[in-house]
Amino acid sequence: MRIFWLLFSYEWRHFRAAKGLVLLCALLLLTGLYGIYYGTTEMERQRQHLTTLPELSRRNVEELKVKFPGPADAGDIGYYHTTYAVHHPDAWAALSLGQRDINPYYVKLRLLGLQNQLYATDNTNPMKVLSGNFDLAFVLVYLFPLLIIALSFNLLSSEREEGILTLLLAQPVSPGVVVSAKLAFRLAVVLGLAWLLSVVGMLWAQVPLDGRVGTWLGLSTLYCLFWFGVALIITALQRTSAFNAVTLLGVWLLLVVLVPSLLNLGVAAAHPVPQGIELTIKQREEIHAGWDRPKTQTMNRFFALYPQWRDTATIRERFVWRWYYAFQHLGDLAVAKQAAAYANGLQQRYDLVEKLNLLSPAINAQSSLNALAGTDLPTHLKFQRSATAYHDALRAFYYPFLFRKVEFTHNDYAREPTHTFTSQPELSTALRGLGKLLLSVGVVFAAGLLLLRARPINPR
Amino acid sequence: MHSIAQKEFVSTLRDKRFLVLSVLVLALLLAATLVGRASYQTLQQERQLAQQTVNDQFRHQPARHPHRVAHYGSFAFRPRSGLSLLDSGVDSFTGTSVFLEAHQQNSVNFSQAQQSGSLIRFGEMTVAFVLQMLVPLLIIFLCFGAFTQERETGTLKLLLSQGVSLRQVAWGKIWGYSRAVALVVAPALALAAALLFGTEEFTSGADLVGRLVLFVLSYAVYFFLFIVGAVVVSAVQASSRAALVTLLGLWILGCIILPKATANLGATLYPAVTKAQMDADVHEEAQHGINGHDPQDQRSAALKAGLLKKYGVDSEEKLPVSVGGIVMSESEAYSAKVYQQHFADLNATYERQNRLSDWVGLLNPYQAIRPLSMGLAGSDFAHYVHFQQAAEAYRYALVQRLNALQTSMGYGDKERKLDAHTWQQLPLFAYQAPPLGWALPHLLLPVVALLLWAVGLSWLGLRLISNSRLA
Repeated sequence: MRIFWLLFSYEWRHFRAAKGLVLLCALLLLTGLYGIYYGTTEMERQRQHLTTLPELSRRNVEELKVKFPGPADAGDIGYYHTTYAVHHPDAWAALSLGQRDINPYYVKLRLLGLQNQLYATDNTNPMKVLSGNFDLAFVLVYLFPLLIIALSFNLLSSEREEGILTLLLAQPVSPGVVVSAKLAFRLAVVLGLAWLLSVVGMLWAQVPLDGRVGTWLGLSTLYCLFWFGVALIITALQRTSAFNAVTLLGVWLLLVVLVPSLLNLGVAAAHPVPQGIELTIKQREEIHAGWDRPKTQTMNRFFALYPQWRDTATIRERFVWRWYYAFQHLGDLAVAKQAAAYANGLQQRYDLVEKLNLLSPAINAQSSLNALAGTDLPTHLKFQRSATAYHDALRAFYYPFLFRKVEFTHNDYAREPTHTFTSQPELSTALRGLGKLLLSVGVVFAAGLLLLRARPINPR
Repeated sequence: MHSIAQKEFVSTLRDKRFLVLSVLVLALLLAATLVGRASYQTLQQERQLAQQTVNDQFRHQPARHPHRVAHYGSFAFRPRSGLSLLDSGVDSFTGTSVFLEAHQQNSVNFSQAQQSGSLIRFGEMTVAFVLQMLVPLLIIFLCFGAFTQERETGTLKLLLSQGVSLRQVAWGKIWGYSRAVALVVAPALALAAALLFGTEEFTSGADLVGRLVLFVLSYAVYFFLFIVGAVVVSAVQASSRAALVTLLGLWILGCIILPKATANLGATLYPAVTKAQMDADVHEEAQHGINGHDPQDQRSAALKAGLLKKYGVDSEEKLPVSVGGIVMSESEAYSAKVYQQHFADLNATYERQNRLSDWVGLLNPYQAIRPLSMGLAGSDFAHYVHFQQAAEAYRYALVQRLNALQTSMGYGDKERKLDAHTWQQLPLFAYQAPPLGWALPHLLLPVVALLLWAVGLSWLGLRLISNSRLA
């Protein structure tokens, strides 16, 4: 054990002397801090945008109060009044932005048919979303493996190439201790950095101190351990530094770049989702056919679903709002199957990736971090369901006005339901990810140790 | 020099590691071409079918009031450009369809990225991806030992003693490596060209040929500068290991870190307005006038008074035109004008965000080839905006034609409908992607950056080599 610590401290002195490596670690620390800064400012911006929405609604109400100074027909109000379903980020989202820049974090709603409002997107710069987010999760998942590779590609090979290994192994130390001391030192440096950045990130983003702190640290630790395991395997092969560098980078490319992009293609092919376009087209047909169909036909279909309004006055007018909103809603119902199929298709794509992400710990780590922060597709689908429920609540609020012919007064604006939704973490996904990472770590370390045992270290 | 090139070429081909790597890259390139074509076909068919469907639906509407038709509206689907099968650019991150209706400009919805989880953020397997990121890596593995190995084995001294200059050695090596790289890349590009020009599905023409030729040329320059750069680094560094580590570090910095960092920094520096805010502002200005002194009801009242005066009558009933139609037409013109201003501001913000990355292209060739490649492929931001503008122009023209129809119906138009055959005479949305000549001015900066790199490296780098004491 003393020898282990001796070698460990020797590594420390060696590391301090190697300007390049210290510089590399400092650079990574800086990029990590930038990642945290970027993530928190980006989430702050989204929060700030979300706070402007009630103000926009308020301005809209002011305008309506001028437009309709006295008691008004609720149908007019429902038509001109806009409100918002809002998706607030969890504090953790600042550390792993996931898809929050791609999926809209609010939906503008009117009392009209829901399905042609639900999929509207926010303004985005496609070049920016193509380049992706430089958040802490990116630094951990993408860049930390590269640091690990840079630190350990020449674990033994450089000593061998400089002729030191022969001298070292001539001393009474076992090669196993040499390798483990070197690995342990590098592990300490990398984990120190990862934990430091994570803690700084958590403090900066002001996350609540719950079990997720441990899960985040566990995920990042295991992910780093996995890459050390890969480095161990390559070291055990005992080839030249150049070979090690090329091979390790090849493994990185395979797991971080190639497998994800190929998997993405496979998943898209396995679960095609053209229903999105289909359903908006069909919904438009249904709604506009509503204008041309006999009013009694529309109303009878509507009353079959909402018998509580059946006893309302028969429509004789050329136009009346309750008929208008009835066929808007029937338009939504006509595409309910497509809408469910669309959401299911997306969920199935996600689930398939979840099943297959054992192939690449990088995907696993990324999707676990996103799940922990509540920034991936399932959370967005939950938000869409919540927005749908909000639209239902709006209809329930306006229907009595429309069907009982109650006048809409200025006081009624304040009684209108409002919406809020905050991301919930997908804890089970994150914990499953932790388990799968543990498995990957076990596999690489077992392989590395077996290799080391099978081929004793050759000093030359 | 020729024999040095020949030697490098032959020994590269004999090198097993290079053979394995290049077969891998070639396989990826071919796979990416075929996958790109398959996804091109699926998406294109999906969109063509959808466009056909909505066009048919539009033409076969029953008798309706024109303003009903304006609300029924239409959809514009963005067709993919032929070369996007090589470089899909921002296509996966832009919406595919936009609903076109009276009074408002809707967002372009249903992007590929929204239809997949965060997996898509790892990058997409396209030909451009292989060419931009993986081929440079192959070049690095190929060239890092160009000089260091010769020095380590002592063959460089032998070579120089035969009266060859360092510069000649360097050019010989560059030429040899270039041939090897061309051998890897050419088959995939040939396959792509065959797919593009040999099959019916692409409207091949001079424009497509021009784009493909420039596409190939730009990548040739890109690879060339990587080869020269790697050879220079190999000459300057003390050992093969140091050369390799330096080159890999530069690759990581240039291809992974910088592009993302600059895109993010751009977005932080130039914040863009949200759609909700923009819509509210457009609405506000359309209602109360662009400068707040010209409210819509006053504009409408003035319009009506002007009409009565023009036709010399005292009431709306006696007018030969529909006041509703004229007011509608005026307010559409006004709000479209307001919207165009805001839309232009938004795009100017995005362009400022992206400019930062384009300028960094002067420092980082990857950030020069990326916009150039997608610009030539017709899948960059500028082409996307062109589509948005075309869709908006069509929407505006369609709504105004319908408003004109309403106007011509005269007083009491709301009680009446127009015949079903009216809708068959209205033009349909047919998107014409812009020609190469339109795209080129947008790509000036990346082109200049790439050429500067190629010339600068060949000149300065080679001078560095011949001035160094290598042997």
